[in-house]
Amino acid sequence: MRRGRLVACVCLLGIFAAALVTSLDYSLMDALGPGPGFFPFWLSLLGATLTVAILVETARSHDIGTASILPSRQAAWQVGGVLIALAAAASLLEPLGFRLTMLLFIAGLLFALGARSPFAILLTALAGSFGVFHVFFYWLKVPLPIGALGL
Amino acid sequence: MDTFQHLLAGLTAATSLQNLGFALIGCFLGTLIGVLPGLGPAAGTAILIPLTFTLDPIGALIMLSAIYYGAMYGGTITSVLINVPGEAASVVTCFDGYQMAKQGRGGTALGIAAIGSFVGGIAATVALIVVAPPLARIALSFGPPEFFALMVVGLCLITGLGGQSLLTGLVMAVVGLLIAMVGIDPVRGAPRFTFGIPSLYDGVGFIPVVMGLFGIAEILLTVEAPYREVIKTKLTSLLPSREEWRRSFGAIARGTGIGFFLGLIPGVGAIIPTFVAYVFEKRLSKTPEQFGRGAIEGVAAPETANNAYANAAMIPLLTLGIPSSPTIAVLMGAFIINGLTPGPFLFKERPDLVWAVIASFMVGNVILLILNLPFVGLWARLLRLPYQYVCVGTLLFCVIGAYSLQQSVFDVGVMIVCGVIGYGLRKIDLPLAPLVLGLILGPFIEKSLRTSLEMSGGDFSIFYTRPICLGLLLAAVVVLLGSLLRPPPKVRESNA
Amino acid sequence: MISHIVTATIGAALALAATIGSAGAQQNFPTKPVQLMVAYPAGGSTDIGARIVAAIAEKSLGQPIVVVNKGGAGGQVGWTEFVRQRPDGYYIGFINLPATNTVILDPDRKAIFTEKDFTPIINQVLDPGVIWVRADSPYKTVHDLIDAAKKSPNTIRAATTGILSDDHLAILMTEEAAPGAVFRLVHLEGGAAQFKEIMAGNIDVAFDNVGSIMTRVKSGELRALAVMDDVRSKFLPDVATMKELGYPTVMSNSTRGIAGPKGMPEPIVSKLRDVLKKAMEDPEHVSKLENQGLAIKIMVGEEYARYFADTHAKAKKYTEWAKSRPQR
Repeated sequence: MRRGRLVACVCLLGIFAAALVTSLDYSLMDALGPGPGFFPFWLSLLGATLTVAILVETARSHDIGTASILPSRQAAWQVGGVLIALAAAASLLEPLGFRLTMLLFIAGLLFALGARSPFAILLTALAGSFGVFHVFFYWLKVPLPIGALGL
Repeated sequence: MDTFQHLLAGLTAATSLQNLGFALIGCFLGTLIGVLPGLGPAAGTAILIPLTFTLDPIGALIMLSAIYYGAMYGGTITSVLINVPGEAASVVTCFDGYQMAKQGRGGTALGIAAIGSFVGGIAATVALIVVAPPLARIALSFGPPEFFALMVVGLCLITGLGGQSLLTGLVMAVVGLLIAMVGIDPVRGAPRFTFGIPSLYDGVGFIPVVMGLFGIAEILLTVEAPYREVIKTKLTSLLPSREEWRRSFGAIARGTGIGFFLGLIPGVGAIIPTFVAYVFEKRLSKTPEQFGRGAIEGVAAPETANNAYANAAMIPLLTLGIPSSPTIAVLMGAFIINGLTPGPFLFKERPDLVWAVIASFMVGNVILLILNLPFVGLWARLLRLPYQYVCVGTLLFCVIGAYSLQQSVFDVGVMIVCGVIGYGLRKIDLPLAPLVLGLILGPFIEKSLRTSLEMSGGDFSIFYTRPICLGLLLAAVVVLLGSLLRPPPKVRESNA
Repeated sequence: MISHIVTATIGAALALAATIGSAGAQQNFPTKPVQLMVAYPAGGSTDIGARIVAAIAEKSLGQPIVVVNKGGAGGQVGWTEFVRQRPDGYYIGFINLPATNTVILDPDRKAIFTEKDFTPIINQVLDPGVIWVRADSPYKTVHDLIDAAKKSPNTIRAATTGILSDDHLAILMTEEAAPGAVFRLVHLEGGAAQFKEIMAGNIDVAFDNVGSIMTRVKSGELRALAVMDDVRSKFLPDVATMKELGYPTVMSNSTRGIAGPKGMPEPIVSKLRDVLKKAMEDPEHVSKLENQGLAIKIMVGEEYARYFADTHAKAKKYTEWAKSRPQR
């Protein structure tokens, strides 16, 4: 936890620094008052100061829980798997269309997470892809992507 | 005809079989819209407007109004069950509502939300009837400078939200405020921090961010350490215990007041009353460390405020013809399409119509309670499915939600990224609530500051020469001092 | 030699088939739902108008017309997405002039599209600009207003509905036509905000469009000083035009029309145009829009294209001025 905090603080500092520099490109003050760069500039400065304070406090303290925040190898695979599946689904949504993408997504993820009944998996996948599409597109008139294959 | 007679006439009209039917359909559709991801009340109402073309004006308006406040309730369901706010205003309910669900008390959370919403809604409607016009006039005096001051007060409330320490709360608020700066700035109309990505021109999109930070992050945490034990916990009764009733009572009362007053001010939006009610409740509580870990007041207060707000926000519309929020603007559009212009003249010319709509608010609140309470058990039972199904279902839900906002895959991407960020933040125990508040308040603060200065021609004195504005700024100072002098309890918080 | 002939014949046959095929596709258009994009969030005036037209037009089109909202950045997000779509007729959208023009013309916006990226199909609404004040305002005529603006420049608070909106440009046109008159610009978001701030006394005068205020002028809450068109609005027949009042160059309005990405084949444009025109002339469409004070002005073909070009040229001039004016 302590190490995690330290890493987070460093990341935050990086972000604040980047924001600070970028906001200098926008004018800080203009004829009427604060310009576009005004708030981001001062906020970044404030944020960086606060982060340094947290950094110092974390580095000096010894009583924050020492349990590792990093997941075990197997858990990491699970988390990573979900993220990869999500990313894949997002990028395939428009090319492949909602129905096909979600069918694969649901079935694949259910299986990867440990669901074992093929019938339940298939049913859920179909309901979640084709069924949901029908409800949203035809009944509610909410557009969902239709891909190259017409799905 | 005096007010009471008007109300009676209105009630008679509102409870006609036909209008009751419309109210019922409206409440049902509204709840559905609230539950469904992405489809916020504004979009949902707009989509359904053509449906109302064939109805008579009163019926159409009753239905559309019912959809509006019905959606406020629907959003709660997903917040409690899967930590995904069904619509923006339900974010705060995630803090404690979801924790309650994890402890097997999901039904209780939904139950108290329904009851609190009912009380808030009815109280606001009664107040509307009794004090509407004079109060609405007062709300008019809230111009951009007062708005700015109000937002500053809101920011100072963040100090009451902070997790382990004031420092972490403040940093997260700053992060939230910075994220809010992305997009076309209100000053010059030029893009800021957008890196040439057009989808960012309007900012990072509140709903995808919040769905990611809360919903997706929660899934990632669940997948990492599946807690099958909780699902098997016996569902406790749907109604709160006596102790919980006692604690909720005050929360509901205060939530009603806060939601009502903020609802009168045009432009405040539904999320702010929920935050204010939550923080207020936490400050007044004898056990503030419970907040964020399943305190029932943490659900009762924001939910009540939410519904009181929704009903109160109709007041500026009906009495002055001023829409308080985008969703209400859609409602106003519906009025106008049907040939009626809300405002003082409609009140005078067609009191039968206006009072029928007002009366239908009361009826609608009753319908909502009846409609939702029985289903609470059903919803809560959904959680007992094997965790893979709940997870994948939630993910599907979130993807549809993020995409359907603007038919944009970019929003889905934002949500995923925020999911990772939320996951990381939860792991190192940095609080999410201040970040969300910063994200909400950021645009308001900048815009109202800028508009105030445009009005005054660059003169800063506008902020201390207007009494209400000055008063609010002083209140902000008081709030800030108050929390600096009374250190917040140093306890770990799990979700807020 | 024979192989050349064979190749050529096959090539010709393929080309012929392709032409017939695509003509066939055009003949059968549409075979699946059509998406109609609105570059603003759901519930706004353009959106509601779109839904009304879509509901009626899809009956004669034979396929559903699904309204898609892509709001953000004053329309820029939607139009950016729009110009990248295939010009096959299945994705059309609303363009709002002069908003679309100013987005293209404002160098700070860095728009990736230009006026040439659109195929105008048909215009729906033309909402003339109007100058209005509260009913009890000291300004009874436009002349009162302009005199006051000349006497104390940069004091009269004039509200627009957004930076570089048609109202913003209209204020500049007014200042140009009445040299010496300088207004203090306050950019609000939308007509509802204007109404609120005027009633609260935070703003002295507002520039907006007839549709937004028509019903309130009729109810007596507001006073319209002048309409910025060359003919009087049929919704506000008692309100003089700027032309009548001696300011013929102050002509401003906001139009909404449907366009496709550039390169749409003429038969498809033609079919869409006919279907949409029929829908817009439908009495239900007319009455619903007129209830909102929106004047329908159908423009097609040459007329619409010319209108687009004219509006663009005019917007260019005032956008440049707006960008260099000290208080924008």
